[in-house]
Amino acid sequence: MEHKVFLTDEENDMLLGKAGTMKQKAMEVIVRYADVLGAKKLCKITKAHLFCGAHPFMLSFPSSDPDEVISKMLFCSDEKVALDRYECPYCQSDAAPMDSEKWRSMGVAEPEAKRNEQFLHRFLDSGVHLASSCIPYMLGFVPLMGEHYVSTESHAVVLMNSLWGACGNADGVEIAFSAAACGRIPLWGTHIAENRKGTHIFRVLCNVASTHDWDLLGYTVGRKLPTHSVPVLVGAPRPNIVDLKSFFASLATTAGPEICHIVGITPEAPTLDSAMGGNKPVRDVTVTEEDLEESRRMLSDAGEGSVQYVSVGCPHYSIDQVERAARYLRGKKIAEGVTLQVWTAPQIRYLADRCGYSKVIEDAGGVVLTGSCPMVSEKLPKNAAGLAFDSAKQAHYLRPVDLMQGKKIYYGSMEQCLEAALSGMWKE
Amino acid sequence: MDDVRILRGRGAVGGKAEGPAMASENAIQGWSGVDERSGMIIEKGHPFEGMSMNGAVLVLSGGKGSNGWSCHFHAAMILGITPAAMLFPKMDARTASAAAILGIPVVTDFEEDIFSLVESGDWIQVDGDAGIVRITKRDRPGKH
Repeated sequence: MEHKVFLTDEENDMLLGKAGTMKQKAMEVIVRYADVLGAKKLCKITKAHLFCGAHPFMLSFPSSDPDEVISKMLFCSDEKVALDRYECPYCQSDAAPMDSEKWRSMGVAEPEAKRNEQFLHRFLDSGVHLASSCIPYMLGFVPLMGEHYVSTESHAVVLMNSLWGACGNADGVEIAFSAAACGRIPLWGTHIAENRKGTHIFRVLCNVASTHDWDLLGYTVGRKLPTHSVPVLVGAPRPNIVDLKSFFASLATTAGPEICHIVGITPEAPTLDSAMGGNKPVRDVTVTEEDLEESRRMLSDAGEGSVQYVSVGCPHYSIDQVERAARYLRGKKIAEGVTLQVWTAPQIRYLADRCGYSKVIEDAGGVVLTGSCPMVSEKLPKNAAGLAFDSAKQAHYLRPVDLMQGKKIYYGSMEQCLEAALSGMWKE
Repeated sequence: MDDVRILRGRGAVGGKAEGPAMASENAIQGWSGVDERSGMIIEKGHPFEGMSMNGAVLVLSGGKGSNGWSCHFHAAMILGITPAAMLFPKMDARTASAAAILGIPVVTDFEEDIFSLVESGDWIQVDGDAGIVRITKRDRPGKH
């Protein structure tokens, strides 16, 4: 195949099929991708976070053979690819379409659950750890400064690049699988130091005191951030990792950044000047209380109303968030006819079970689910008139979905959502 | 006489195609932005909301939102729905992923500001091999 990107002998051998059909097909995709970007060469990746499972988008390809579906939808190959172990030495799975244990409580039918397990085991055979979570960085997936990786989770890319100086782009799902399989990605974008410098300054003039405020702040900065920009945040109070998990998730919802410097917090931004790296700011933007209010109005339907479905835990809750939810619910009962889902990673549920938090939530009438979320699973309550979320990301992405038309979507803090589950009412 | 403009850039994906422009400087989300079953743009508040991308030449500043951007265009293509071509002032990881996977003509890195030359509804001929875009303006005086 003709190409412009420079390839090493080893890469060229892969392209010629000397390392098997999977790596050949994968390298073809990566070479096409490199030429589209205009990249000069490839770099080796040492971590890959991959959107594994029988996801709805893959099932547009009409085949009951998982290998055929994976070949076509992930490796872009009409020919069935022999799925070998991926070249990338560390691979871990992103969110799946369902909880691998409690899928029944999500309304998943048994054949669907079996098909998903069948798909997941194909990835396991390729060397992917089935962590099934959007928060890989809390589950052992920790790329260090300068380490090249791929991740199919938008906010995980921004978080790992920003907080640790790791190098990853917002590559598509198919690109990430091909990159994992051949162990290469184009040396482009945030893989190159020059492209990581700040372009836009965001001055935080609003009160940011909780994880919920950070979630709203991310959504707001994203709304004001032009395409292909690198924001630098100034003046925010000191966040913790849970605050930033929400901040990056909502930032990567309304915009498409791959890195966001926070002066005094992230390693490439000890000062505003070093974050800008000599760049003159394209714009100096302020974020005010009114801006946050505007975001809130965009995300949450106005007024009070009845609620039948409450989902918290996007991105997946950390163990302290699960504990906080349990503490809020201890000794209480959610209203009749309300479904309460608390989403986390499988490993964190293990810990929550061990610590007794899951039981407290279940005794209150809720359920601790893992490995997925309402948006990824597409298992949405058909009969709920009102739905509540503590994540701007879920509220934002659910609003255009067909099934949501005519329903009320409410957005607030975890406490507001849990209160709505207990009373069956959304109160402002 | 037709009002025709020629715009030069870098051919990112080869091939030739033509169609009506769908042009917006607002980046678009793929996940919950493109309905793969109908080809409709569903992102709330986007200028394309309620329009079908099928057969159109998409002219966008870039992608945003979920990294699952290309996969929705990919799924739509499997179901027989696809833009004719795509034009971007600059590539990003989301749009380049889609370009590499769909294989429809894509031109980028233009010599001029494409958004000052193209409006939705203009007829666009794309030569992805040469990196040349031919824009025929719609509804201009003198056009038949």
